[in-house]
Amino acid sequence: MTAAGEPTPPTTPGPTDSTSIPIHLRPARAADVSALVPLLLRLKRLNEEFDPLLRVRDDAESQAREILKATINDPKAVLLAAEGVGPDKDKVVGFVNAVLRERAFYAPPVEGVIVDIYLLPLYRRHGVGEYILKEVSAALKAKGAGVVIAEFPAQNEIAVRFYAKRGFRPITARHARLL
Amino acid sequence: MAESVPVPVEAGREARRRTRANRAAARREDETDQLGRRAVELARFYAGKIETVPKVPVRSLHDFSLWYTPGIAAVSRTIEADAEESFNLTGRWNTIAIVTDGSRVLGLGDIGPEAALPVMEGKALLFKWLGGVDAVPIPIRVSSPDAIIETVERLAPAFGGINLEDIASPKCFGILEQLQHRLPIPVWHDDQLGTAAATIAGLINALTLTNRAVRETRTVLLGAGAANIATARLLLALGHDPHKLSLVDQKGVLHAERTDVDELMLRNPWKYRLALKTNGGGRTGDLAAALEGADVLLAASTPDPNTIRPEHVARMAKGPIVFALANPVPEIWPDVARDAGAAVVATGRSDFPNQVNNSLIFPAVFRGVLDARARSIPDEIVLAAARELARHAEDRGLSTTHLLPTMEETEVFPYVAAAVADATVAKGIARLRLTHDEYLEGARTRMGRSARLVRALVRSHLTAPMPRPHSPTRRRSP
Repeated sequence: MTAAGEPTPPTTPGPTDSTSIPIHLRPARAADVSALVPLLLRLKRLNEEFDPLLRVRDDAESQAREILKATINDPKAVLLAAEGVGPDKDKVVGFVNAVLRERAFYAPPVEGVIVDIYLLPLYRRHGVGEYILKEVSAALKAKGAGVVIAEFPAQNEIAVRFYAKRGFRPITARHARLL
Repeated sequence: MAESVPVPVEAGREARRRTRANRAAARREDETDQLGRRAVELARFYAGKIETVPKVPVRSLHDFSLWYTPGIAAVSRTIEADAEESFNLTGRWNTIAIVTDGSRVLGLGDIGPEAALPVMEGKALLFKWLGGVDAVPIPIRVSSPDAIIETVERLAPAFGGINLEDIASPKCFGILEQLQHRLPIPVWHDDQLGTAAATIAGLINALTLTNRAVRETRTVLLGAGAANIATARLLLALGHDPHKLSLVDQKGVLHAERTDVDELMLRNPWKYRLALKTNGGGRTGDLAAALEGADVLLAASTPDPNTIRPEHVARMAKGPIVFALANPVPEIWPDVARDAGAAVVATGRSDFPNQVNNSLIFPAVFRGVLDARARSIPDEIVLAAARELARHAEDRGLSTTHLLPTMEETEVFPYVAAAVADATVAKGIARLRLTHDEYLEGARTRMGRSARLVRALVRSHLTAPMPRPHSPTRRRSP
């Protein structure tokens, strides 16, 4: 899922307005985990808005910490941290997390799945979503992925529009009901 | 201004003031109850507040061969050939729809379309009485914003303008935006634009009076509902620095890093955009933190006189401007705000000086756009109305108790209407381009006609005189 899209295009420039991208991406390090945990939780809480089956668990914070630690060392994952620029350099303001999955029956045989994208609101717009998507796609391709897939809550129309504009289409659907 | 902070020895005075305020509040509740009983009595007696009245002579049924078939077919064909002629050959140019879904009526909340009807009738009466505008109340049974938009779009051919009324926030923002974009006639939401424009008019004069320039002003908006979201937008259009503007809601200062900002992106993108754009310097915390050194406080929040405390006002810059616009009770009593250091205070009430009231704006705005047969009503037009209203108060001499014309100064309204019409010409959205004097004269005539009409109907006993209170009669008006 993505929070990098926007409901409507900006009408006037914000306080961080600049023609250049206000962030830069680099591979996440173990030292980033503490900064990444609240960002991952913000994303999961946003997902909660879309469906009661995405209700965030009480232990989500410790889960986030463990999963981020494991992901950083996982060769079959791509975890990039977004840093601010200028005075916000060294501040982690977002991240993207993607995993490589084998496709036993289909070609191409490896897919790169973007499972989480989050960027603090002040750093959105300015083509940042586009930039993140380009960078993570390149990293996934370098690890052997032949197709890039984005996973997000079905009701997130902002994400639907963001990806549709960039040539993504639905290929599989996941429908759920409570047991 | 430390010297204005209340000190403990004043506690007794504060307690007395509060007792006084409580007694006044109880008295006002009594009055409101009495008014309510009387309103129900009169509603039953008159069974409606407006009716359609012919505006052509009818000498005999023969005249209907002109007013109706067969003659009327030629009028229809003329409009069929050019739909714009509907503004010249029918009453469309002076007729607006008052559309509501009844989702946020007065302070009553979501009471539904039928219960909203008496309020819309009252609004239609105000439109006619003050603006000479024929307004048709149309409460509709819909729930989704898309259904409201579609319904209004389908109704539009009959109207020269649309007034959206009492539609809940935040859905009102998207509905107004979409309809303004889609329809070839002005669309207005009074709870946003009327209130915001009246606020801006008062603020323009309050800034003049305290020697402030809007660019340099630090402003705090308390409450982030329909009125203040629109006020924020108009303030920016007026040249206010977004970095010097802060919004405060129940959760404190609205800023980009607040944890509910992602939810706002989904549910209220208008407030979300303001969260990203405003509050330069990254203020966080409560109202008190936001007000530190602020020049202006514009409150449109909770009708409770303790919402803004004297300590809050004392934290502001020297000689601050305080608008406490909640109705029926302001967020702080004017005398309390002045004692705490406020240089200028305005409220939404007529029993204090400086009433900020949307009725100062909407009849004149509609008179102006209708007289110009305008295609839309962009924010510049709204600001033109606010500026003109402010100018008239200034011409009569500004003081801390005279920021705005009062509702009784009806002679001002045609000037506001003409300024609005002029602005539509300048903007290139007027279908009927006239001179300033022609617009002014037309507005004066049309605005003055309604009062004459109502008086003439009463004088000729076509409208029944007002029955005495508690009258036992159940007789219906003729």
